[in-house]
Amino acid sequence: MALFQLHIPILDDIKKKGLKPALLAAVDDSIVRFTAGLGINDIRGVLRGDPAPKPNPRVKPHADGFWFHMRPTYYNNLVQPLYPTFRLGWLSVYFMVFETITGVILMLFYTPSPLVAFENMLNIMSNVPLGLFMRDLHKIGAEGMVGVVCLHMLRTFITGNYKKPRQFTWFTGVILLLVTVALSFSGYLLPWDQLSLWAVTIGASMAEATPTPPPLDILGQQWFGDPQFIGTMVNNLLRGGQQFNANGLLRWYLGHVLLVPLVGFIFIGVHYYKVVLHGHSLPPESEKAGEDTAKRVPLDQRTYFMPDILTDELFLVALTTFVLVFGVTFGGYHAPLEPHADPLITPLHTTAPWYFLWLQGMLKLGDKVLWGVVAPGIIVGALVGLPYVEVGPSRRYADRRIGLSVGMIVVIAISVLTFMGTPWYAVSSSVDQEIVATLLPQTHPGPLRGTHYDQLTSGQYNAKDWGSAPTAGLKKLLKIYNDEVEHGKAKLPGVEGIMIIEDWQTGLKKITFRVVWNGGANTFSQDAYLHQDSNYGE
Amino acid sequence: MTIRVVIGTVLIAATMMIVTFVMINEPARMPEFEAGFKGRSIEAGAALFQSSCTPCHGIQGKGIEGVGPSLNAADLFSGKRLKEFGWAGTVKDYVRSAIAGGRPRASAAFANYPQRMPTWGQEFGGPFRNDQVENVVDFVMNWEKEALAAAAAATPTPNPNAVGTDINVQLPQGDAANGEKLFTGKGPNGAYACSACHSLEPNKTVVGPSFAGLAGNAAKRKEGTSAEKYFVESIIKPNDFLVPGFNANLMQQNFGQLMDKKELADIIAYLMTLK
Repeated sequence: MALFQLHIPILDDIKKKGLKPALLAAVDDSIVRFTAGLGINDIRGVLRGDPAPKPNPRVKPHADGFWFHMRPTYYNNLVQPLYPTFRLGWLSVYFMVFETITGVILMLFYTPSPLVAFENMLNIMSNVPLGLFMRDLHKIGAEGMVGVVCLHMLRTFITGNYKKPRQFTWFTGVILLLVTVALSFSGYLLPWDQLSLWAVTIGASMAEATPTPPPLDILGQQWFGDPQFIGTMVNNLLRGGQQFNANGLLRWYLGHVLLVPLVGFIFIGVHYYKVVLHGHSLPPESEKAGEDTAKRVPLDQRTYFMPDILTDELFLVALTTFVLVFGVTFGGYHAPLEPHADPLITPLHTTAPWYFLWLQGMLKLGDKVLWGVVAPGIIVGALVGLPYVEVGPSRRYADRRIGLSVGMIVVIAISVLTFMGTPWYAVSSSVDQEIVATLLPQTHPGPLRGTHYDQLTSGQYNAKDWGSAPTAGLKKLLKIYNDEVEHGKAKLPGVEGIMIIEDWQTGLKKITFRVVWNGGANTFSQDAYLHQDSNYGE
Repeated sequence: MTIRVVIGTVLIAATMMIVTFVMINEPARMPEFEAGFKGRSIEAGAALFQSSCTPCHGIQGKGIEGVGPSLNAADLFSGKRLKEFGWAGTVKDYVRSAIAGGRPRASAAFANYPQRMPTWGQEFGGPFRNDQVENVVDFVMNWEKEALAAAAAATPTPNPNAVGTDINVQLPQGDAANGEKLFTGKGPNGAYACSACHSLEPNKTVVGPSFAGLAGNAAKRKEGTSAEKYFVESIIKPNDFLVPGFNANLMQQNFGQLMDKKELADIIAYLMTLK
């Protein structure tokens, strides 16, 4: 008895059929195994757009393969056009994968330490081929992902898909929204520049306002004796100490690359599973109110996933990738990099990222605890609770006038609050500072740094004589200065704007803006240096 | 469906082309970006220098006598200052070290600066982060060109009225009082600092021979040469006749190119008073 038997079936096949047909059959067999059901001819048929043969081999991967089992075998014709889904869910997943790929590339060159993080950024941008490109793509992808995920949720709300039986799908969607925002926001801190530090500080100081319950006696132990107890604890957890430090940065980094993506991928799985389980819900007007016919797709109403939906989705991948790549190459989109983070210098007009401006707007309304902790908590709670509270059976727009109106009011309120979050609303700094900050902002490059070095002819200029400035660039700059000064006249009597340009060093100029009012009794001045080569990504 | 496949394929090809385009441009873009950020670093350094360094080192690093030496100076960048106290690294490394770690002792060349340079780098207990130290280093190093160029401009250009090396030159009437100023004065403003090498005390040799009783000796030194003639020759062609015991080239050789006739006459008039 042999201990083992060596038998190579292909040799028998070759003997039987000859070399070429046997090898072809072997390759075809491997492909069928790899695709979980499609042979070479089936794939060619899919690519050519042939009608599906009977029996249809294209449904096999949905039953036997891993990747396709997450997708429905066929869609209802009614959900195949752009409306009602706008493909926003697929785009969200696309961005998640896109961010993972670009993010992993950036990770190769990044160390989460305040000592070297900023230097790493410079290295990525100046020393790593395609480093700047990848960073820009990662950033534009993050913005795109937040936008697409929000729109996806808004669309789901409008078409009423959160209703029974999809309440839990909606819940996982809310989790995914939070994951998206957390991913985007946690990534903000990592470059360790002024922009990132202060944007994230706004978030962290909101969390610091978390209220502590009144003192409690539990098993003879006094708890929460310090009214700041929870707030301080949350703050220490988020920042690593009183201020952002090495521990804080490491936490945000690990959250960004490990914890939050993990939660995200798990919930994407659940979300997808629920979509397959319940089917894509039809446009509200195409079924009777209160009915859900998504799972009963008549034979003549089916659009098979392969090839139609698949082609559609791959087309969207190609299109979106092209748009993103084009945007960062020719569209002038660049991820900003401000000076190195400095916990001691708060830039004037620091803002949260755009998707949190509404929160910053709410904070301007008053109490930090109410608007910074309680209100966001209520909003998230309302999103989670929505499908369990709003149980009207009909998804039709006409039957949901109140719900849709409330939704629109929320959208408008968030838009208004977003405006209120910007520096244009309720800023507390003085007019003279504002005049200079327009020319020399502390959160982005601004007009002065955008002016070409050669245009800055040395000398002393008065804003009101902008017309006689020696160069076009200087004229433009002084015109902005003059407009701001004119604007400030109401509050600062007799205000004048002076600008002094001095040659300071080889290729370096010193620019001083001096705002003088009350006949010279009051002045405010601020200077800046501008180097010939300096690049602010403009 | 076919149209989607075609457009999608074209888009993928276009994306690949853009990526290739970006890749091809990277070798040119990267150094440009680096220079751009160096510029920003110099700007940040200028602001830090203005607030933290000018109180001692003066506006634009010109130095404040007795408080902080000039940094906008050629001897820093030429390596002369470094050599004096045996710094083996580059000027940039020295500047970084001095800013971050301070200077516990001044070198002999800066003995008139009693204040010590404090430490500025956080790792040595100062207030600046590493990147801030680096910003100031970039700013200070940006003076290199300017300081060296200024020094080159300050080196003596040939005097058009120079006396030259003809020892039979006719000299105007000399002014002994001005001659004394030229003899003892320091610095480039028409003074020649002869007293730095020639002592007036008898038998004291600093570098060159003592000038005590010079006027009397001069007439006797070289046969057939008057004291005035001997002085002219000794100053504009020092190697022609050497006082026994002193080597050739010990004395600066180019006074003929620096002095004009009046100055030479003044110095000689002064020397004639050294009886």
